[in-house]
Amino acid sequence: MRRLWCLLAAVVAVPPPAAAQQPPASPGEGLPVVKHVLPNGMTFLFLARRGAPTISFVTHFRAGGVDEWTGISGTAHLFEHMLFKGSRTIGTNNLPAEQALFPTIDAAADSFTAEFRKGAMADSGRLAQFRERVKALEDSARSFVVSNELDRILTENGAVGLNASTSNDVTNYYFSLPANRAQLWFILESDRLRNPVLREFYSERDVVMEERRLRTETQPLGMLLEEYLEAAFRAHPYGRPVVGHASEIQAVSRNSALEYFHRFYGPNNAVVAIVGDINVDTMKAWATRYFADIPAGEPHKPVVTQEPPQRGERRISVEFDANPQLLIGYHVPSAQHPDAPALQVLGQVLTGGRTSRLFQRLVIRDRVATNVGAFQFPGSLYPRLFTFQGVPIAPHTTEEIEKAVYEEIDRIQRDPPTDVELQRVRNQAEAGSIQRLQSNFGLAFQLSNSEALWYDWRRTFRDQAALSRVTAADVQRVARTYFTPTNRTVATLVRPTKPAATGGND
Amino acid sequence: MRALSLGALLLAFVPAAGSAQDARAQMQALQIAPLRFNPPQPKKVTLSNKVVVYLLEDHTLPVISVQLVSKVGVANLPDSLWGVGWQADGLLRTGGTMRLTPDSVDKLVDFYALNISFSTDHELSTAGLSGLSRYTDQLVSLGFEMMKSPRDDSSRVRITAAQQQENWRRRNDTPGSVLGRAWSQVVVGNHPLGRSLVNPAEIAGFTSERFRWVQERLYCPQNFVMGVSGDFREREIVALLEQQFRAWPACKPGLREVPPVAYAAGPRVVLIEKDVNQTNIRMGHPGGIKLANTPDYFASQVADFLLGGSGFTSRLMSRVRSDSGFAYGVSSVWGADTKREEQFFAGAQIRAEKTVAGINLMRAVIGSMATEPVTAQDVKLAQDNEVNSFVFRFENPGQIVAQQLGYAVDGLPANWFDVYLRGIQAVTPEQVRQVSQRYLHPDKLVIVVVGKPSAFDRALSEIGPVTILPVDSIKR
Repeated sequence: MRRLWCLLAAVVAVPPPAAAQQPPASPGEGLPVVKHVLPNGMTFLFLARRGAPTISFVTHFRAGGVDEWTGISGTAHLFEHMLFKGSRTIGTNNLPAEQALFPTIDAAADSFTAEFRKGAMADSGRLAQFRERVKALEDSARSFVVSNELDRILTENGAVGLNASTSNDVTNYYFSLPANRAQLWFILESDRLRNPVLREFYSERDVVMEERRLRTETQPLGMLLEEYLEAAFRAHPYGRPVVGHASEIQAVSRNSALEYFHRFYGPNNAVVAIVGDINVDTMKAWATRYFADIPAGEPHKPVVTQEPPQRGERRISVEFDANPQLLIGYHVPSAQHPDAPALQVLGQVLTGGRTSRLFQRLVIRDRVATNVGAFQFPGSLYPRLFTFQGVPIAPHTTEEIEKAVYEEIDRIQRDPPTDVELQRVRNQAEAGSIQRLQSNFGLAFQLSNSEALWYDWRRTFRDQAALSRVTAADVQRVARTYFTPTNRTVATLVRPTKPAATGGND
Repeated sequence: MRALSLGALLLAFVPAAGSAQDARAQMQALQIAPLRFNPPQPKKVTLSNKVVVYLLEDHTLPVISVQLVSKVGVANLPDSLWGVGWQADGLLRTGGTMRLTPDSVDKLVDFYALNISFSTDHELSTAGLSGLSRYTDQLVSLGFEMMKSPRDDSSRVRITAAQQQENWRRRNDTPGSVLGRAWSQVVVGNHPLGRSLVNPAEIAGFTSERFRWVQERLYCPQNFVMGVSGDFREREIVALLEQQFRAWPACKPGLREVPPVAYAAGPRVVLIEKDVNQTNIRMGHPGGIKLANTPDYFASQVADFLLGGSGFTSRLMSRVRSDSGFAYGVSSVWGADTKREEQFFAGAQIRAEKTVAGINLMRAVIGSMATEPVTAQDVKLAQDNEVNSFVFRFENPGQIVAQQLGYAVDGLPANWFDVYLRGIQAVTPEQVRQVSQRYLHPDKLVIVVVGKPSAFDRALSEIGPVTILPVDSIKR
């Protein structure tokens, strides 16, 4: 027993020779994934796995927040909600009668928007009146709506994990089914992709506004992140909140949501991963049968806007009735850049685990912060932000955290990471790459996401393997290249000078 | 192979048969084969110290997971040690062992990418150890050493104290935190089951000795049930566990039974003012039902599913979100435990300008469970969902083992899931109506509201006399 621990201690001090050998490729790259592309460009990835008779379905569309145009922020996300409202058959008991009401409802909504466009000059009485009219009209159409029928069908068939999410780069939809009900996915997904009906549009727009309030406007960190991104990106749409600006959510029309759909939801922009207890040949046949006749749409074009190089540090403070916290960000390249693996390793050396440099210093040694973390966001396709997040322990301040972060950045620019630090990151990457093979859903999500972003399902696995080849010199080089004061944005949450009457703290 | 390609080709050229029909017709034509699945059963082994271990081997991936559940939790401690107990899990992980400094433990955990975590909850305590199976010896030895001989190094006790002091300082920063704590104070009072935040007086009492006193009692062999899943061999893991348990002393005295708890009933309206444009609301009362093999329990589960437990198909979601656009999130929980009757409550985050309308709507929907009876189709939806999704409760070995640990701790039979499914399938619409009528009381709700009254659509007092609870009077 004691001998074992001595050995372990030795391992911690000096990595054994085996660890220095060229690491194996990521185990995920060898998975027997079958890629099947329909003539209309729709891409399917099939992976048959042993185990319980379940199947996970994940679809990514190459359509996200960055693809919106001025004035319609939040539409990618609102449209994601609308795809749960059904189709020409699901969700209605009388489609013609229902759709006959849409022009009147839209006209009332347009009247609201026309008044709303007057900004501060808008008449609040008229706004309220138009709002009530939209609601009354939509309520009258509701007699033809079968509420949440899509969800109901899936619920009774034992589906789990029905959900979707919208990011800057892509939008995804997913659920899992018992294996004997797989065909249901083909029927329902092809139906809503072919025949979406944007019913209950304006009440859902209100729901999205509440989602914005829930995640952003009432949350200190949510608000800080939104303002931070807007400060750091002045040209690129990564600076725009995916959920949308409050004013624009209130004014998005059913037609602009449909326009977004027609531009970006062609089958050639869709990648489906189906993982679990499947027969690949049956899946291929069903893919063709249910999706092949949907005409291809415009191919997705990457955003043309590039964020110009920053010309000096940017600092903002965000007032909120809450205790302080801090974000520090540096512009770094996209996830496909050759420097991306080194940046990821750099993040792990600095904040990955209790033995990381910043955690050791800020949390353990100096007790200045409750926690410190680093992450790269708000997307993968385009240049993004390497972000440090710190939460101070009073009476310590965000300034003390900032100073310590800069000193640790200076240090890693001077002294590269040690062999032990790098081996720790490699071991963590290896364990992570195996653990993520455990669930059907996790695999389906990764395969579909990787193929949608990079047109290559193996890419994410390869990126994990690439972490093992990062050298100390690589880490030091990227730290020197990107972590410069000129390239930096700092956002601090501060309590307003006149505290609100309520919600007081110590 | 060629025939197959031809088939695929033909299908590609014949305009999809699917598109000619509508989705409803396609669904009606679906032939669904029965699902044949016998979930793997964990093997139950009893170690020489009487600890029961559920083993489920699965060599698909080189990973292993060891789960321990102890049948006692923080509510079993003397009141004076509640705060110590609530943080004893973190100190087990960070405080080092008698032999290894905290830094040495952290280095081993990080270097081998081990996942070692502890959780001291109200009525049970857990440990989870997982990692690559080639490090099984290191994982299990280190995890057990942390439980058997915690050091609770004073430097780490000070860190925990400072972090908890900061958590306390930040307790009112988000509406959800204010609501959760206010709810507990109003409904559960000062009972340990209502606490979730350590206060400054408790933090002042943090010492290494007290942490050890607590850990020795919450983590000790007689209270454990265990599970191991993944890539291991039975003989080897049993030998390893026997070795780890050797010389682990028996549980020490000093714990108590959890004191009886009385959940408050209404009608009562409590307001906590906060300057936000969305109102956090929770309304509820005692749930009246125990988790047991009784028709009432199963009917209450179906009622909750249809009222607010099932997402979009529920009445609350349908009416408050989909029809009205008042909220993004709205749901209900009809809690039940094997030990006691729990609470029923519904909650939502409602647009400030629809606060009172939203509360009235939620109350009406709760009441509708008795007055607008659920249909046979509704009940069948809940039953079909349970029956058809059962396979997802047995998707991976860790989940199957965890299920058995849960049953063992709750005193439920190993086949409880079968009993549960049969119970749900026997529920009738009339039983759902009866159970709703008997146990759901929209006129006796405690309603706790966190928001900005000047932004509300109407005066909150329209619902009933309002008690204003200043945010600083929330003691926990």
